[in-house]
Parts: sequence; structure tokens; C-alpha cells
Amino acid sequence: MSLDRRSFIAGSAALAAPLALPVQVFAQEKIVRFSLPQDFTRIYTFVTSEYNQGQRDYFTLVNDRGGVGGYKIVADITDHANDLPRAIEAYERGKREGAVLIDPLSTPVARALVPRALEDKINMITAYSGRSDAADGSAFPYVLPLSINYWTQAGLIIEQFKKTEKGSLKGKKIVFVHIDTPFGKEPLPILNVLAKKEGYELTAFPYTPPGNDQSAIWPQVRRARPDFVIFWGAGVGQTVALTEAIRNGLPMDRVSGSVWLSESDMDVVGREAAKGVMKVEPCVGGREPKVIKDILADVIGKGKGAGPENKVGTAYYNYGVQMATLMVEGVRKAAEKAPNGPVTGPWLNEGLRSISNFTADGLLPPTTITKDDHQGGGMGRIARWDGAKFVPITDWFSANQDVVWEEIRKNSDEFKKTGK
Amino acid sequence: MDWILLAELSANGVFVGLMYALVSLGIVLIYKTSGTANLAQGAIAMTGGYVTWALATLVGLPIWLAIPAALVGMFGFGLLMERVALRRMIGQPVIMTIMLTLGVEIMLRGLLPGVFGAAVKRLDIGMPQQPLFVGELLLNRSTMIGGSISLLLILLSLAFFNSRFGVVMRAVADDQTASWSVGIRVERAIAVAWGLAAVSATAAGVLWGSTQGIDWSLSLLLIKALAIAILGGLDSIPGVLVAGVIVGVAESLATGVLDPLVGGGSRDVVAAVIILVTLLLKPHGLFGRHHIERV
Amino acid sequence: MFYRRAGIRHTRYQDERQLFPLGFDRGLIIAVIAILLAAPFLFDRLYVSGYLLPWLIWTSAALGLNLLMGWSGQIHLGYGAVMGIGAYASVHLVRLGVPLEIAMIAGGLLSATIGTMFGGAALRMKGIYLAMATLAMQYVVDFVISHSTVISGGSLATLQVPPVRFLGIPLQGDLPTYYLAFGVCFVITLFMLNVRRTSFGRALAALREKDYAAQILGISTFRYKLLAFWVSSFIGGVVGSVLAVTYLRAISPDQFHIELSIQILAMIIVGGLGSVLGPFFGTALILFAPILLNNLLGAAAGTFGWSLPIDLRAHLPLMAYGALVIGFLLYEPLGLAKIYANFRNYLLVWPFRHAQR
Repeated sequence: MSLDRRSFIAGSAALAAPLALPVQVFAQEKIVRFSLPQDFTRIYTFVTSEYNQGQRDYFTLVNDRGGVGGYKIVADITDHANDLPRAIEAYERGKREGAVLIDPLSTPVARALVPRALEDKINMITAYSGRSDAADGSAFPYVLPLSINYWTQAGLIIEQFKKTEKGSLKGKKIVFVHIDTPFGKEPLPILNVLAKKEGYELTAFPYTPPGNDQSAIWPQVRRARPDFVIFWGAGVGQTVALTEAIRNGLPMDRVSGSVWLSESDMDVVGREAAKGVMKVEPCVGGREPKVIKDILADVIGKGKGAGPENKVGTAYYNYGVQMATLMVEGVRKAAEKAPNGPVTGPWLNEGLRSISNFTADGLLPPTTITKDDHQGGGMGRIARWDGAKFVPITDWFSANQDVVWEEIRKNSDEFKKTGK
Repeated sequence: MDWILLAELSANGVFVGLMYALVSLGIVLIYKTSGTANLAQGAIAMTGGYVTWALATLVGLPIWLAIPAALVGMFGFGLLMERVALRRMIGQPVIMTIMLTLGVEIMLRGLLPGVFGAAVKRLDIGMPQQPLFVGELLLNRSTMIGGSISLLLILLSLAFFNSRFGVVMRAVADDQTASWSVGIRVERAIAVAWGLAAVSATAAGVLWGSTQGIDWSLSLLLIKALAIAILGGLDSIPGVLVAGVIVGVAESLATGVLDPLVGGGSRDVVAAVIILVTLLLKPHGLFGRHHIERV
Repeated sequence: MFYRRAGIRHTRYQDERQLFPLGFDRGLIIAVIAILLAAPFLFDRLYVSGYLLPWLIWTSAALGLNLLMGWSGQIHLGYGAVMGIGAYASVHLVRLGVPLEIAMIAGGLLSATIGTMFGGAALRMKGIYLAMATLAMQYVVDFVISHSTVISGGSLATLQVPPVRFLGIPLQGDLPTYYLAFGVCFVITLFMLNVRRTSFGRALAALREKDYAAQILGISTFRYKLLAFWVSSFIGGVVGSVLAVTYLRAISPDQFHIELSIQILAMIIVGGLGSVLGPFFGTALILFAPILLNNLLGAAAGTFGWSLPIDLRAHLPLMAYGALVIGFLLYEPLGLAKIYANFRNYLLVWPFRHAQR
């Protein structure tokens, strides 16, 4: 027995020995380091995989073409599993290694890291997540959503419903099924304000996270006889929501989700069954855009892809590419302003905040980031699932931004005053 | 009071509860024969779901072949777990065994999605999605079928306990030392109990997986299964049936009635409250016989 | 050879009852304390705030739970909830303007009160049933915290900790927070080391062995069980508030879930139930092994050019965590503290191995 124990201890000691491993040093090259600790295992799982894959493929593309402004992008990827200590450790590690940008892709983690990012002047990208009031750049100089926040998405969806009802939602019933977390509750203020403004009746049904059992929610939704249904979740909550909606006989063409719906989700629900469901599209989907084609040719074609090829062009993959293009554009602008760096958070911040009318060759709606508007203009479009892919049914539009910005300022003012 | 809604919720709750009860069946089986509570039952259900999906999708077996193959495989997995892990824990304090099963749960939760990919997987067992209308009531057809299958399996296990080997297992559950002295092979009975528990967990995993997709959240079935097991009595299989129905209905009604008042999320608390109330008032559960040492 | 017992002759009773009679032990402890005190100046900021700080905080929590589980023998699967109560209570008080010192103690007191209610369950059941009851209570407390906006702070549900002062020193930056956590850990360790020498500690040990035998001897199980829960929950509450103020700085309900309870439980089991040194080792292993494994894999993948599928790589720390727990339970149920004790015993009599007790 002691032999087993001894070898066990010796084995574990050997494993624990390499405490400080050499970090790859790019001594001579000019690099910009991005830290991408994201949640691969706990809640966002496959969303993160595909999103991250898109990001990495784009960085490979850019680096292969010589970098941007003479700088190459280095991305550090770790899994924080939505666990605060690990996320903080990843953040601190990234900071020590000189990362100037961090993308946690997780609302609770982003919220917790806000004070640190602001203090350490590291740019935190909160794509479609985090604090919606971070769109106000004057209160959150180093927190940049660079994407339409949930309030804007809610506004877009309501606007689309209005168009379907020929311009008036008065007296209609809208049901909002959401995951019972801060992320799920986020659109509620906007939906309530718009309810007063447009005259529709809003009923909300929260479901327990992670949302794998919603069998008691959807009969109630059906009984409420809604005209429109909005469902707000992520990962397994989305697919279960759609499955239950189908099982309860709700018409799919009156149901809409947020940005977090993709071909992978449709696969699980059943491609034919979910025909007609709508989602918000912040960027062009599919493999048509030039950037995606370039990636297919130069990165996947050469075998340098970061993940399975069949995920290229899916919704979450394109979101990753979208955010990556914005980050790289920020580096380009920063390099334009100060070509010799030094590469610091404020240096990149200047660049990110001067992105103007950027479309990444047709992948995004024209996005402009300014010192006050970190959202980028609030444009998106609605797409509908036709059984095989998401087909856009509107053009790029923005709606209800006045209501959204009012809410943003309300919250960011409170943050400015109290730091909460 | 929206009676139709309540009736719908209750009907739904009965079947959903039966589907949860399938996981509890395993917990009760294991507790009955070996006296340990298996907190990895949810994770085993998840493993069963993944294995079935892998057989159906990766290996390409047709679904009616994949499910039995998975059941056989998971029976072996249960045997393996008992032999490798639990046998060394005999005689250790109960907290060690609980912790061991928790460790297995964590490891399985990391292993399965890691190997097979964390994306939610689709398991199509051919369940129809269209709702069934009884007058004004809408009944969820797939939940009904799932619940009926669970009921069938639980009744099957009850019948099994009247068979020859079932009597052996009941003897082991009653008194291990006496069984030894009569010549019954206690280790084998315990191993079979673990295997059967894994099988029932796999069946539950397949049923739930076809509803919600296969991913790590299948392991969350544990807390509901525990509530059912404790309410029904940790060593009573008929108790699992009755308690399953009660817990399922209570949860559905809670979602319907309490959620608007409390703002959502009362579903999980119902299971916890049921556990608490049962333990404080009637620790044996509704049908349990086992004597619990009290101060 | 190192832990020399030769030449130690006690002439006073106090000397015999010392915590660390061996000179080498005392020297080790002093060296460790010195290193920890000087850590911010010796080590890089990353190591201090990313590794040492959480290590100290989680060890304090593990020590509190060890008092209950290892020393008194009660099972408690809801420690995360207890810490959460302390954290929320103290953060709310601090936001209302109460000084941090009082807020921490008040948070501890509130946790102790509610934790003693958990303990009420222990009076009626044991073993697996007590485990289930505390597990259920964890979920109930979770629910109450997340659904009362009064407690959890509105729909954004993350409560930011305002800048605070402790004993007059503002807690900004790494140094003051580190020393606060160190101080709390020091006090709790001192308490735990001395508990076993008091009548309270002996009563708890009697409870652990056979509670009705203790009752016959005149030790009120009712009183001491509740007292054990009270003290342990008080420690949990104080550590929860330290965690919120120094490390997290913004608390939300999902940080005090069942995951935290299981993590601390794993720490004390891997470390060694009932020992004071155990939680230190166990916490270090459970906290750092996943992170180290992650970094190791990342570096290896970079150096050797492996490309593990991202799913597998991301899940490996979780697998490592589970494997660690299983491995220790199967091969060394008494934990890392026992391994250290074996090592120490070996060195006590080296090179006279046959004299090992």
C-alpha cells in the first residue's frame, strides 16, 4: 500500500512542479495582446466555442496578412466557467502579461470586472452582454459593448412587431418568457416603457435557470393567448423554450428571440418544426460576407482553423468574427494615431473610440464608436428562420433609441454618482 | 382561478414528476441495498444520454438499437463504479461516500461534455410534438409518453423485486450480515443494484434528452430526484411513484400559482422545501421503513 | 533529524501544553508567517492578488467548516449560503454607512443566527439526512436572496462594494486587502488551534464520537450542537464579508451557490477532516490545480503545437477537480494533512526509521 501511496504522491508532486512556465516571448515583433477568458464549460458552452472560434480565425487571418498597422494580434484563451475567482485570476494574469483588451463574454463576470477594468485602464469588451448602460462612454470609458445591447434589441423587436401589425400595437398582448437571471430580466425596463408608449399589454414569465424544464411555463403562455412572444435565454434555455412553444401549438411566425439564436439551436429543436421564428441579427449571417469567404479560403483552406469547419458561417461564429473585426479596427485606428505605441490600454482605447462607419466589407451595419456612444449606433435587423437558414426580413434599422438612451443615461448617471 | 390552467398544469406535472421519478428509482435502489446515497445519479443520467447520442449519431446505430445498447453499456458502467469506487468506502464515515459520489458527479460533468463537445445535442427518439387536445385542455404529448414509459419501468422494477433475484436483493437490503450467513452473495446483489440504477438513470437521461437536448444540465435532475426519494422514503419503490407524482404536481402548480407572486423561479425551491418539510416532520418519508437514528 | 525531540525537557506545565513543543515546528510557522507578511514585496502582484489572497480567504472558510464537520462531526452542505448571508449583510451595512469592522461582525452574527437554524435540523437527524436538510436549506437561502430585490440589489442584481476603510486605512489596491485577509485568516487559525484545548473543543469531540454517550456523561448535545453551528456560521459570515470586500468587490447571488459549498467541502476533505493544517493544503490544491492545469495545457499546446479541441481543453480543469476529489478519497481518506503528518513522522526519527510510531 505504501508503494502505491508513495508513487501517487511522487506523481502529484511531479505534476505540481512546473509552477512557472515560460511565456512565449515575442521580443522583436510588435504585438497587441488580447485576453479572452470565456465560459466554455458552465453556462454558455457551445455559444462560447463558436464565438471564440470565429474570433481566433479572424485573428489568424489578420496575422497571416502581416498584422494590422504593423502589429500582430496575440490572443490568450482560457476558460473561466463563469466562476468569479477564476475570471479574476485570468484578468490579473492577462494584465500582468500586458493585455490591453479583455472579452469575458459573460454578464456576471463583466459586471464584476467593471471596477477593475476602469481602474486598471484595460479595455473590456462586453459583446451583447454585461452592463447595458456601458453604452454611455462618458461613465464607462473602458467598457465597450461595441454591439447592440439588450435594450436596443428589445426596441428593435417591438418595432418589428409594430410593423407586422401595420403600425399599431394598441391592445395587443405580448408575452416575454425569460430566464430568471439579471440577463433575462434586462429588457424588462424597456419593454415596460414601450408598453406604455405603444399601448400593448406585457406579461412576463420567468423560468428557472438553466431552463431545461419549462413545461409549466408554456401552457400558461398559451392560456394568455398572446399576439407575440419574445423569449430571452441562452444555450439550453433557448432550445427548450422553442420546443415547448411548438408543443403548445404556438405559431412560430409570431415568436422572436434575441441575438442568441443560431443554426446549432435550430438543429436541436428541429429545422422544420421551428420554421418562421425570428431573431435579431446584428451582423450578416452565413458564408456570403467577404470576410467569411476570406477566412474560408485563407485560414480554413490552409488548415489553420480553430474549430470544426461546419461551424464557419453560423450565427455565433459570425458574432465572434464581428467583434474581432471591431477590435482589429480599433488597433488599426490606434496605430494610425500613434504608430509606435506604446501599446497600452489608453492607446487602444483611443483607437476603439474613433471607429467610424466601419462595415468590415459588408459584414456589419455601419458602426461608429465615439467617446459617448460605445454601442455603435444601435443598428440591427430582424431575420426569420426558413427551415435551412436565417433570412433577413428587414434592412438595417434602429428603433426606439430615444427610449433606450434615456434608460442608459438613467443607469449610467447613477453609476457616476455612486459607483454602483 | 383558471381551472383549465390548473388542470393542464397538474396533468403536465404528473407526467413530468414520473419522469423525475425514474432518476429517483436509481437512488432508492442503491440506498436500499447498500445504504449509500448516490449523489452522482444525475450525472449518470447525463452520461447515459451522451452514450445513447454517441451510439446513435457517431456510431450510426438506428435509435431502436442504440438505446438498448446504451442500457447494456451503462449497466456495465454502474457495475464498474461500484467495484472501483464504492467498495473501498465500506466502513468509512458517510460523509466520505457522499463526497465520493459528488466527486464522480463533478468528473462526469467535465468528462462527457469535454469529450463529446459542449453543444446541446439533439436526440430524436421519434416522439411526436403535436399537442393532444382533450376538450379545452392541452396535453403535452411527449411528456405524456415520457411519463408513461417511466411508469412502466418503475412498475417493471417492482415486478422484478418479486422475482428470485429480486428477493435476494430485498434480503440484502434488509440485513447484509444475515444475508451473508445464509449464503447470499451480497457483493453481487449490490453490484446488480448499482447496474440497475445506472440503467434507470440512462432511461431517464434518454427521455429528458429528447425533450431538452443532451448537455451537462441533465445532471441537475439530481435535486428533484432527491426530493422525490426523500419524500417517498429512501428505501421504498412504491414511494418513488407516489412521491414523484406529488413533487411533479407541486412544482407545476408552484410555477403557475406562485411565480406571478414571487417573480419566478419557485420551481427549484419547491423541491428544496419538500425535502426540508419531510425531514423535519416525517424523516422516514411517506413509505420508508428504515429506522433513522435520532438524538 | 529536523523535528528534533531530543533535548526538550519541560520544567513548567505551560511548556508542556504548548501548541508547538518542537522548536522546528515553531521555526517553520514563524518562517511561513514572515513570508506571508512580506509577500506583497517579494512576489509579483499577480501572485499576491490572484493566488495568495483567494487562498487565504478560502482557507479561512474551510477552517470554519472544518470546525463543524471535522471536529464536531456534523454534515453541512450549505456553507455557501452561510457565507452569502454574511456577505450580503455586511455589504448592505457598509452601503448604509456602518464602519466595516462593525459590519463584518454584524454579518457574522446574522449568519450565526440563521446558521443555527440550520443546526436545528442537526438536532433531529444525522448522516445523509442532515446532509440533505442542509442542502435543501442552501437552495432556500439562494432563492430568498435572489428573489428579494431588497437584498440582492435590483434587477441588475450585482451589489457593488463601496470604498471602505478598515481601522482607518482605506482598502484600495492590493496591500490593505491582502493584509486584511491575512489578519482574518490568522485570527481564525489561532482560534482553531486553541479550540481543541478548551472544554468546548473537547465537548465537540465527544459529540463527534458518540453523541448519546456524551449526553450520558452530562454534555448537553442540544447545547453543543447548536453552539458548534453558531461558531462555525459566525466564522462563515465573517469570511463571507471579507470575501465580498477584498476579493469580489461586487457580489451577486450566483456566487454563493451550491458550487461554493461543494468546493469548500472538497477542500476540507482533500485537506483532511479535523486537522488545522489540512484546509491550507486542501484549499491550495483545489483552488490552484485547475488553474495550473489550464496554464500547463496552454503552454504545452503552444510549445508542442498540440491542438486539443477547445471543448476538451476547457473541460479538463473540471475533470481534474473531480479526479482529485475521487483520488484522495480512495487513496488517502485522511487527506493531505495525513500525508504531511507521515512526512513529519518520518523526519522526526530519521535516520532511525524503525523507531517510527
